[in-house]
Amino acid sequence: MKFDLVIAGVGGQGNILASQAVAKCAMDAGYDVVNTETKGAAQRGGSVLSHVRISDGTIFSPLVPQGRADVLLGFEPLEALRYINMLNKSGKFIINTTQIPTILSNLKVDKYPSLEEMRTEIESKGIQGYFIDATQSAKELGDVLLTNVVMLGAFSVITDLIPADAILQKLLSMVKEKFHDADVRAFNRGRELLQAQMK
Amino acid sequence: MNKQFMLGNEAIARAARECGVRVVAGYPGTPATEIVDHCASYPEVYAEWATNEKHAFEVAGAASLTNQRSMAVMKHNGTNAAADFLMHINFTGIHAGLVLISADDPGGLSSQCEEDTRVLIHNYAHLPVFDPSSVQEAYEMTKAAYELSEKHELVFALRPVMRINHAGCMVTYGDIQPNDNKPDFIIDRSRFVMSAVVEKELGGELRPKMRHRWLNEKQVGLKAYAEESPFNHIEAGEGQIGFIGCGIGYAFLKEAEEIYGKKLPILKLGTLPLPEQKVLSFVKDLTKVVIFEEIEPVVERLIKQLCFENKVILEVLGRESYLPKEGEISASFVLSGIESAIAGQAYPESKQSQYIPARTRTQCTGCSHRGLLFAMKNVVKKNGGVVLGDIGCHDAGTFEPIKLQATIYCMGSSIPMAHGVKVAGFDKPVYALIGDSTFFHNGLTGLASSIYNNGDITVVIAYNSTTAMTGFQPHPATGNNLNDKVQGMDPGAIATAMGAKVFHCNSYDVEETERVLTEATAQPGVKVVIAEALCYLKFGREGRLSYTPKEVKIDTEVCNGCSICVRTFGCPAITIVDKKAVIDESGCNGCGVCISVCKRGAIK
Repeated sequence: MKFDLVIAGVGGQGNILASQAVAKCAMDAGYDVVNTETKGAAQRGGSVLSHVRISDGTIFSPLVPQGRADVLLGFEPLEALRYINMLNKSGKFIINTTQIPTILSNLKVDKYPSLEEMRTEIESKGIQGYFIDATQSAKELGDVLLTNVVMLGAFSVITDLIPADAILQKLLSMVKEKFHDADVRAFNRGRELLQAQMK
Repeated sequence: MNKQFMLGNEAIARAARECGVRVVAGYPGTPATEIVDHCASYPEVYAEWATNEKHAFEVAGAASLTNQRSMAVMKHNGTNAAADFLMHINFTGIHAGLVLISADDPGGLSSQCEEDTRVLIHNYAHLPVFDPSSVQEAYEMTKAAYELSEKHELVFALRPVMRINHAGCMVTYGDIQPNDNKPDFIIDRSRFVMSAVVEKELGGELRPKMRHRWLNEKQVGLKAYAEESPFNHIEAGEGQIGFIGCGIGYAFLKEAEEIYGKKLPILKLGTLPLPEQKVLSFVKDLTKVVIFEEIEPVVERLIKQLCFENKVILEVLGRESYLPKEGEISASFVLSGIESAIAGQAYPESKQSQYIPARTRTQCTGCSHRGLLFAMKNVVKKNGGVVLGDIGCHDAGTFEPIKLQATIYCMGSSIPMAHGVKVAGFDKPVYALIGDSTFFHNGLTGLASSIYNNGDITVVIAYNSTTAMTGFQPHPATGNNLNDKVQGMDPGAIATAMGAKVFHCNSYDVEETERVLTEATAQPGVKVVIAEALCYLKFGREGRLSYTPKEVKIDTEVCNGCSICVRTFGCPAITIVDKKAVIDESGCNGCGVCISVCKRGAIK
């Protein structure tokens, strides 16, 4: 058994918390796990790709090889597009549609592509996946910072590697108790968003 | 045996702790920084941030001479700064185990340059280097390095790359060994005095030559160790083409082998010097080998030399002769290397990938440097001056949209380079922009040199009271070190004592900063402007700000959408929507610097 997850996002979106929740669950289930981040020099607001490699055998490379990821969680659509080639042909993606413009696109040095352009390009890869507005749901639940929890909830629907409740409980164990109610609601909202699309 | 999920840097610190390390010194630098932080968390270990890597290495070196196991921690640029001490301690050797951690950053993901410190440490200083292929192996190599360092009386180096330092996995680790070593300084001038001394008992030979011979003779023992080292091994496989994985290159090679789907003849290498007999026995029935290593063709050249000396006819392919010479390797990089080598083809030319809008580095919202950079830009726009830059968060001022600094080289180079521009005859004002931590790292001597030589430059110290870029480490001007509260050193007082004319301003006050910079520029000689304002990211969360927060608003009646605030200032919290500037309230930290940017007064 080998399972490779990549999470593409922007620094500050909670990539690391999400990837560690999955990594810790897999370790609890007795798997070997390797986890790392690919970051540019930019810290806040930079492009971040988290790699979570899970296996019942030896894992050599800390990085998921190009074209070998089983699931891509895109916390931001441009970052999802940047790393879409990480997925294998039978892999799945879940992409948050709320866009975060880049500094250079604000300055009109670069053009940030439209959501339609990005969807078209991602869908042209012939890989199965889902687009959800996780940020909008997080805002409705009262805090944009819940975006990663909504995404994690959505992820729990498409994986049979770890039970959804184990992911949620692990996540709760990693955050302060005062956030628990909101996190449970965000996680469940993510599940509902995905289940609605799968029907 | 215990097992725990650890990052590479924690595993290295843990290994040193288990070996009874007593003194750890370093200077912050990605990807090695957290090793010192972890060591500092062990009460039995003395850990410090030295002002630069050379001093860190010197502290660790002297601790070793005092019979205490020690460790010096740095990134590759730091090893460059420490190279002078490296090229002396290699000849003297050491007492108690001393491990040098020199972390490389293939691809320059978080660095000014891409370089391979194995060249400095092994090829140049002739010291042994371990190149780990995994976090577990980094742990094991660190442990082995302490024993071996004492056995061979030499510094042992560990050269992890970013993918080891920052990767997390389950690490099997051991127990802490008691450290009964008593601090004791045994004077042995014949070893520890490096000087052109005449050695009477050697027929009048000079000591530098004698110590050089001592180091050369040490290579025999090191080579013998390499043959039996657990960090080198051969794996049998199909075919007459062999593959050699060095350090992290082995991890990518194993990954690629699995994708390729056939067992390949593999030689895993983790030590320098090479296990020469093992290499010769591996290549015996092969026609070709491909070597995967980060970053320079160090092993490749040694194997070519070995084959030449032993009259072995073998095609040796690697980063010198076949693979891309620059950039980080990966599983797909290695897979292409395997497939093309087996097909007898050249390595495929890399296709330039489609540009996806990048997320570049910039100052944070609320960052004090943005006010300073903007003010300096206004000043040099008027007087045609040039700004020599330095390392630190402020170096993002060289990118869009501020584009202020004309150069970025290494730690502290801004000041002597500014001096150099001036003495070359440049007739407009010349500035050096340097951070406070960098000023203490390698700026002091450059400032002294310029003042001594009647310089005519303006040095701007961006004094934000922390080493922000690497995660807020303290430095001599912060009032604390890694362990205690201390009397902070005032960069302005130091510059005054050196003889510079010193000026002060608050970076958040653009008008004041412009005025002070203009005044300073008008003075002859070396001027130092202390642009002081706390780092927002570090101190803002503690409620300590160098500005009075205000609710910044756009007056949409006044704003004509000229976008000067975005095009020249670039605070991430300001965007243009429907031809009007908009301030993102959740992103804005109320520093109010942007108010002085709008010529129409639309930002209030």
